[in-house]
Amino acid sequence: MEDKKNYTGPLMIALQYNDLFDLDSISTSTDTDALPNGRAFTFIKAVQTVNERLVEQNKSDCLLFEVILISKECSEEIKMKVDESVKHYGLEIGKFFFCKKEELINTLQSNKVKLFLSTERDDVYEALHTGIPAALLYDQADDHVLNQLKVIFSGDVIGFSEDSLDGLSEFGFSETQIETIKTAKICMKEFAVLIGQMRRRFGQENSPLCTCVLTSWGSRNVCASALKTLREWGLDVDEAFCLAGAPCSPILAVVKPHILWDGGLLNMS
Amino acid sequence: LRIGDGLKMSSQNLLQHGEKDWAAAKAHFENLKSTKPRPPKPKYAVTIAVSSRTLFDMVAERKIFEEEGLEKYVQHQQEHENEPLKPGPAFPFVKALMTVNERLRNLYPDSEELFDIVLMTNNHAQVGVRLMNSINHYDLTIERFCMTGGQSPIEYLKAYMTNLYLSKDSKKVQEAIEEGIAAAIMFKPDVVTQLSETQLRVAFDGDAVLFSDESEIIVKQHGLDTFFEHEKQYENKPLAQGPLKCFLEALGKLQKKFYAKNERLNCPIRTFLVTARSAASSGARVLKTLRSWGLEIDEALFLAGAPKGPLLLKIRPHIFFDDQMFHIEGAKEMGTIAAHVPYGIGQKYNKGKLIEPEKQQK
Repeated sequence: MEDKKNYTGPLMIALQYNDLFDLDSISTSTDTDALPNGRAFTFIKAVQTVNERLVEQNKSDCLLFEVILISKECSEEIKMKVDESVKHYGLEIGKFFFCKKEELINTLQSNKVKLFLSTERDDVYEALHTGIPAALLYDQADDHVLNQLKVIFSGDVIGFSEDSLDGLSEFGFSETQIETIKTAKICMKEFAVLIGQMRRRFGQENSPLCTCVLTSWGSRNVCASALKTLREWGLDVDEAFCLAGAPCSPILAVVKPHILWDGGLLNMS
Repeated sequence: LRIGDGLKMSSQNLLQHGEKDWAAAKAHFENLKSTKPRPPKPKYAVTIAVSSRTLFDMVAERKIFEEEGLEKYVQHQQEHENEPLKPGPAFPFVKALMTVNERLRNLYPDSEELFDIVLMTNNHAQVGVRLMNSINHYDLTIERFCMTGGQSPIEYLKAYMTNLYLSKDSKKVQEAIEEGIAAAIMFKPDVVTQLSETQLRVAFDGDAVLFSDESEIIVKQHGLDTFFEHEKQYENKPLAQGPLKCFLEALGKLQKKFYAKNERLNCPIRTFLVTARSAASSGARVLKTLRSWGLEIDEALFLAGAPKGPLLLKIRPHIFFDDQMFHIEGAKEMGTIAAHVPYGIGQKYNKGKLIEPEKQQK
């Protein structure tokens, strides 16, 4: 493992506290109840399931998920509530960081976060733009399955050739957007390598980790190219969807991913 | 209003992101600088979902899956990734759909009203590489696919706005029909027949396929005489629709596009009704029902109980839909590509005899 120093665990994922807990429904009274679940709740439960299954296989496995919590400006009161709530739900949170909005990027970089997950598309896009691996925490319905973590990689980001991506400028995509897509591919690689290693600890069936490729725009050859590239990176994905321009929301509603690596593509509306 | 319409209309609400996806896909295809046609917008297209085993012959591979398990099966497929699979029962049908699309694109270059073929398979994505290589080998215009890695395809059928689903798995087909999606189980014919390469030919049985099984229930429970009397009496009352009615309707819409351009005589779609009913006693109701739905069928063949096999051999359809396995077997033996529609009372009978005990009124 020493020669691949960059590609070892733990797989650190950063979440924002306002995704983990639902802060909109906080009452002003200082009740001792824990904060209600937020959009990241099912994600964190799924991550914990994967960790449990990994440890079951090998007690000394160091390639595990580690979740850290980052929060932008908030009051002392909320800080305490967050801390209490994490304990209340038995969530395995490695570290807490409270920092100003401008410091978010730095904090992510200095902690060698392998993935920054957020439901805020702008945050994801901004992070990607500075080279930090970031993906969309897909907004889940409450009744989502908790015992499997689902990750979608964008087949367009991975499978499109440089020329094809440059060609998108003729169709209303800005230089910045195109550059961000290219950066996203580089960021995805390390994450894919690690996930690939994790995925191989389990069999085809009954795996707590499920990986997918979703090609929204590209042809079948773009999708095939993405599958082969991911394979080269050590990840054999389980599911693949190629839409060739068909709307992706109906498909996402069925797949119900937790992590959606779209390279900021969904930000472009 | 057909069930399919409902699915397509609600998806319009998701158009916001959809339009950008559409522009990007258009960009990609136009960039390719090839003669590759761009897939149509799902809400306007007639979407046909085919499973991997209907599109390609995977009998040997299936055996490996059943005898040696999933891991060995996936490994085998990966090892033979660059060997194209042989055509399966739905292959001629898919080629015929592509021919129709070519003609439609010539007449209506900007229209999205085309056939759209989606590969809908339970297979894991790793098997998908071999499937895609095979699709490339035959240069099939299949750009959309869904490899569910073991998950049920039913919700995906809806998400892809499927108008017709073809599979070898009877359980999935039954579920699809229950969800209001036209679906059938495909069978490979015992003999290979030469089929038209310029015209899509689709044959349908009547009762429990285009129409509901209400009349068939009468035959099974009360016999032919009662059936004839009943049909004469209710001649002017349209039958209720069956699971494949919407598909016939979709074909009809495309046919009209050819008629509008004076291509009726040269229309690349031809539909057939092949029914055990007889023209004299029970045929009128069927034709009147079709008329009341505003649907046309090119040829209506009333067999009055004669076997369907020989007639189908003359018709040479790319696909023949029937609800009774008895007819499917007959068609298959004589070289017709048959698709079983597991719907209605016919499922409880085999060659006229009841398979399971009659249940009391619920």
